[in-house]
Amino acid sequence: MRTTSVRSITALVSFVTLAACSSKGGDPARQYGLDPFLPEPHEYLLPPMSVPKAIGWKDGEMPTVSTGLKVEVLATGLEHPRTLYTLPNGDILVVESNSPGTEPFRPKDFIAGTVKARAGAAAKGGNRITLLRDADSDGKPRLRTVFIDHLHSPYGIVLVGDTLYVANTDAILAFNYVPGVTQITSPGVKLADLPAGPIDHHWTKSMTASADGSKLYVGVGSNSNITENGMDVEEGRAAIYEVDRLTGAKRIFASGTRNPTSVAFEPQTRQLFAVVNERDEIGPDLVPDYLTSIRQGGFYGWPYSYWGSHVDVRVHPQRPDLVADAIKPDYGLSSHVAPLSLLFSEGQHLSPAFANGAFISEHGSWDRSPLNGYQVIFVSFANGRPVGKPMPVVAGFLGNDNETVHGRPVGLALDRSGALLVADDVGNAVWRVSATQPGT
Amino acid sequence: MLAQKPSGNVVSSGDLQGEPMRRPIGHRRARPLLHRGFTGAGGVLLIAALGTDYTYYTTSLSQWANFSAWLITAGLIVMLVAAILLLIDFATGRAGRLNMGSCILVTAAALLSLVNAFVHSRDAWSSVVPQGILLSTVSTILLLIAGTRGWSLAMSRATGDRP
Repeated sequence: MRTTSVRSITALVSFVTLAACSSKGGDPARQYGLDPFLPEPHEYLLPPMSVPKAIGWKDGEMPTVSTGLKVEVLATGLEHPRTLYTLPNGDILVVESNSPGTEPFRPKDFIAGTVKARAGAAAKGGNRITLLRDADSDGKPRLRTVFIDHLHSPYGIVLVGDTLYVANTDAILAFNYVPGVTQITSPGVKLADLPAGPIDHHWTKSMTASADGSKLYVGVGSNSNITENGMDVEEGRAAIYEVDRLTGAKRIFASGTRNPTSVAFEPQTRQLFAVVNERDEIGPDLVPDYLTSIRQGGFYGWPYSYWGSHVDVRVHPQRPDLVADAIKPDYGLSSHVAPLSLLFSEGQHLSPAFANGAFISEHGSWDRSPLNGYQVIFVSFANGRPVGKPMPVVAGFLGNDNETVHGRPVGLALDRSGALLVADDVGNAVWRVSATQPGT
Repeated sequence: MLAQKPSGNVVSSGDLQGEPMRRPIGHRRARPLLHRGFTGAGGVLLIAALGTDYTYYTTSLSQWANFSAWLITAGLIVMLVAAILLLIDFATGRAGRLNMGSCILVTAAALLSLVNAFVHSRDAWSSVVPQGILLSTVSTILLLIAGTRGWSLAMSRATGDRP
């Protein structure tokens, strides 16, 4: 009897070990574009990871840029800069922020905390907005002030008329903005609550406004990787909200978007687009993060399925009825790149190649080996849709050894001269990328 | 179980008179095995994880899967303490020879539970179903047998009792 039990234990152990086969991610190029390669999902005992050590930039070290471009430092010494926003008078706002912090739920969360700290993702955010004034757009701001202080994990920011909206992790605040002011001290007026605690796993609230300024669109991330914190805490999450700017009334505009970290309108068609961070722990090449147009009432799969109707068996009970209607995203960005900012270009300030399309920052993550992302790319658009393969714009955030990380790109903005600004929340800097030959 | 009753060394009352007072072996103060209670406690935590796994299986409520993950982690820590105490039991002469049957049962259950801790670190349904709850079931069976054998991984030298 004992021999039998020993034999069955051996069988069981080998069965479990088999399921834990380690694997390296393939060429990310296969997963960019309209029809990304999707391997079979695998579950692991220890999901493949590689955690780069955050070392920051030494004096003189900088990201690298593609041919015809140059990079300079616009600001340093910031506190976890995330979102960038250019005001009509050319002032640049830097939202300095990080997660409000979550209590560990499971034994695993303690390990996740250590991983985040090593990769430079656990630094405290400034919970404020800094203003940089570079009046002559020479890349050397003459003025730097704390524009709005004492915010609560802010992220999205948009100016409509004379009102500046800031999306804290738990609410949209409205501030009266007078052109040229360098500081706002009056407390914001709450426009609408946003889903936040408990947990607040994906805490960022990305935001943009419709062209006529009547509606705000807010990206709200899920409260877990794949519902492991329970279905009840996912109520109203993993969705893009439409908020009426005058009344604050809000409704879910689209759902199933796991973590829509940036929302923006395509300038020609005025179609809403988003970049979305997809789920982890089913393989180094699953699931590709994506760029997609957002349809009103559309369901994009999370948590039940990915890339259309690919069912995720980790979710229970399953919902085949919803999976049947899940929309396939427009454009794959490859897996675990963590796109955090989507910025449509406005003409060919940097290069003719960047005249029509979108810049996307890939923050990078540790959920894949080898690492992926840690760059800024450009995706061309034709007829209001993403096409072709992306072009690299800014890289060099990772060390040459692929084990250290100088910086991680987050927020993107164009300054008044058309130069591309890149916030870096590990280097705590803002980089300015411009054309070597000033163009049109 | 503690076997306090005198065994073969009963001294007849007649002998006692002439001889110097000697404490009969059976009455020697038993030095209890330190590891035994901890083995049982660790076992109970690991067995409890089968209950919470089953409840998650029937309800899909994630808090039950969280309970399982914590129970398995705690069970493994207590089992580690038990292993250290077992070494102390040997070092201090409390323990005689290993109780091989119980050793194999408990070690196998602990190793399976270690694998199970990683399975339970997955997210949502597949942290429990099917591999997690299967491992919890096999561990529970092994531990229940070890429990009926008294949780001792070694014979007590003091009393000579079979665990």
